[in-house]
Amino acid sequence: MNRRVVITGLGPVSSIGIGAREFSAALRAGRSGISPIASFDAAGFPHYMAGEVPAFDPKSILQRISPDAWGRTSQFAASAARLAVEDSGIDPTELSAARAGSSIGTTGGESQVLERLTGDSLTVGFAGVDRELARQVPASRLAVAVNRELGLTGEAITLSTACSASNYALGYAYDQIHTGDLDYMIAGGADSVGRWSHAGFYRLGALAEKACAPFDRDRSGIITGEGGAALFLESLESATARGARVYAEVLGYGLNCDANHMVAPDPVSIAQCMRLAHRNAGIKADEVDYICAHGTGTPANDAVEAKAAVEVFGERPPPISSIKSMLGHTMGAASGFSAIASVLGIAESFIPPTINFRNPDPQIPDIDPVPNVAREMTVNIAQVNGFAFGGNNAITIFGRYS
Amino acid sequence: MSTGAIAITGWGVLSSAGIGADEFARAVTAGRGSAADVSEMFEEPVPRQDAFALVDFKVRDYLGRKGTSFLDRSTSLAMVACGQALADTDLVVDDSNNERVGIALGTTAGSVKSTSDYSRDTFVQERPYLVNPLVFPNAVMNCAAGQSAIRYRLRGVNTTVAGGALAALSALRYARNLIGCGYADALLVGTTEEFSPQVAWATHFAMEAGGGDLAAGEGAAVFVVEDADAVREAGRRPDAEVLAIEVGLHVPADEATAGPETDFSESLAGCVVRALSRAGVEPGEVWAVASAENGMPLTDGFEDRAIRAVLGDGPVRLRVKEFTGESHSASGAFQVAALLARHRADPTLDGRVSVVTTRTSDGAIGAAVLRGWSRGVE
Amino acid sequence: MTQAVTQREEHFEELREIAAEVLEIEPEEITDTSLFAEDHEADSLRAIEILARIEKKYKVDIPQSELPKMVNLTAVYEIVKQHANWQD
Repeated sequence: MNRRVVITGLGPVSSIGIGAREFSAALRAGRSGISPIASFDAAGFPHYMAGEVPAFDPKSILQRISPDAWGRTSQFAASAARLAVEDSGIDPTELSAARAGSSIGTTGGESQVLERLTGDSLTVGFAGVDRELARQVPASRLAVAVNRELGLTGEAITLSTACSASNYALGYAYDQIHTGDLDYMIAGGADSVGRWSHAGFYRLGALAEKACAPFDRDRSGIITGEGGAALFLESLESATARGARVYAEVLGYGLNCDANHMVAPDPVSIAQCMRLAHRNAGIKADEVDYICAHGTGTPANDAVEAKAAVEVFGERPPPISSIKSMLGHTMGAASGFSAIASVLGIAESFIPPTINFRNPDPQIPDIDPVPNVAREMTVNIAQVNGFAFGGNNAITIFGRYS
Repeated sequence: MSTGAIAITGWGVLSSAGIGADEFARAVTAGRGSAADVSEMFEEPVPRQDAFALVDFKVRDYLGRKGTSFLDRSTSLAMVACGQALADTDLVVDDSNNERVGIALGTTAGSVKSTSDYSRDTFVQERPYLVNPLVFPNAVMNCAAGQSAIRYRLRGVNTTVAGGALAALSALRYARNLIGCGYADALLVGTTEEFSPQVAWATHFAMEAGGGDLAAGEGAAVFVVEDADAVREAGRRPDAEVLAIEVGLHVPADEATAGPETDFSESLAGCVVRALSRAGVEPGEVWAVASAENGMPLTDGFEDRAIRAVLGDGPVRLRVKEFTGESHSASGAFQVAALLARHRADPTLDGRVSVVTTRTSDGAIGAAVLRGWSRGVE
Repeated sequence: MTQAVTQREEHFEELREIAAEVLEIEPEEITDTSLFAEDHEADSLRAIEILARIEKKYKVDIPQSELPKMVNLTAVYEIVKQHANWQD
């Protein structure tokens, strides 16, 4: 069928803003969403900052499902989806009667529910834990929550490909509409902070103390973050017919796997993934105006990502900034937020900055990280990088619709 | 359209009923398989002493010691099943084509024990960060797919689908899309689920709530999936062609009162109808249905009603969980494997069409249509 | 003197055990000077875990900044000795 696919609604639920307008303003202002951890007792952790979303009030956003019946990550996913649909201007009744579904990416799913059960079990045993809570553990509930919040009867798929999962979800949603299998898709990702992942990253020596400073000479790691990111996808015909505002077009995506190491990224494989994405999107590398980096702020990731970019783009890669400097690493939602940022950048002609940037890294001299201040510029084509444990690389490409 | 059928050209399985396609096939044909004593498997208490678990499974017996001591059970089962599947297919995977060969594995919530134990360590260790970095990846859901890719050097698309009971069909659908759209030539597709105290208790709670009495199970099944047309053109005979996979969500009319007992039968029946239609198959052609029935009277009743509404009373019913337990995401792949098992040794079923149905307690539903063939002399 | 030598050897053997378990090889394969990374395929995760197990066993705090120096058994021994105040 080969339909063109466009994005007509955005739903960020993030530490720097809830809803497209707030999120866009925060990106332009280079706002930080990092604060001392409140969602769990961080006593005993030497590093205690995270990108939580204290302003998140699911009851004020969700219309159909009851937050009590769903874990925090499902609430993020469903709330983000609701916001994206509202932003798209489509009639919700019409949407629920259509061939519509969702694909949602995640790293931990409802692992914070499992963590609560585990904590409870230390005193009451597994036999004594809250049985209702135990029902909330399956990660499939993220996409299911989206569908049930919106009344969608089409496929609800949760892709748990860790920290590049939103890009997988976007790619799959794109295919569903491109091929004509479905007419509308909510795509994005969601995750919640928790003790286990905070401890794990700390133990890997990958957790920064106060701030995430991607591409900086002295970068020291990630800050864990959370939230929900959703984008509303439909065919160009559908958007045109209903007079919808088109933020951007999904041009294509590329996926591959390092098949080398569970944790250490591989520059050759990542460069290959970029080329795959360009080829699938029908563009040339030199057409890319902006790269929204995976940019975790670990010494290894940023060096590898920069190396791969130089390999693919030559000595002057396009500006490459990391919004993780503002949001922290929102795990499975990360590339969803990056996609939203890039799509906003295309629609509103700006690129978000890498905040906390002090000193250029002499090891990666060719990188322009858009230091600290957002840049007004025309973005015709943006590339969103997502890499993950397991060598799960996923890159999406978005273009200005004209 | 990305709707070309996909072919299964080899498979592997580890279940309490049998390990490897041939053994599993013999067990399914004989209707063999029973729960084992699991009281010694873990230190933590379990709700019942029996489960359809692979009590003696040790990954090093299959893959050696190097690189395996820190693997979780879910990942281990998947890795062995992937190896079996690659050994069972006539597809050759090497450095010349491994960029086009990927993995799509389904799960419920990954290795729940690994994630739970990680959380536990943050509570009970002297300091909350004294966790083992080597097993951190095990706590993340894409571990099985990532480790399998490393083991077998598969550099194509690597995806993990969290779908619970629906995961096997979702992963097959995902793979069909990738192959149909040209992102990959072949994928290892399947699901894996480990038995653990956490899973045992969750299963027990669900069974009590649903009025069932089935023990938990575990295992993995993995299928080598390729483009059906390409396989046919190359003159190869697949074990099966997956003609259609349709999935959807039953949305309760009223979320405020919705529980797991919401009647999904009409939605599931619609799903089966769509699948048959897409496959170009008449209900009367279907010889068997592998269902997700697990002994919970109400939900089994909804599933049964959906199946009978579309297919009548004719087809053989394979209630796979009766001899493999409630293995959550792995059960979906066992359903497919059970149909392949019946075909494998029985040429009289060559070319016959069968159906897989499934449902989750959250309203996700799915149906697939398969056409299978036997192995052995042509 | 004999006492000290024995103590030293004992520590070496304990550290060898720990490294072997984390590196998934037999203790005999690790000589006093064989390199963890080059000879035994250790990566950063395994190095951190070796460090973690040592910290746990000897109840000692060793900063992760020491990791790059812990290239073989002898180097590990010297670092632990320093932080644990061994008088071997």
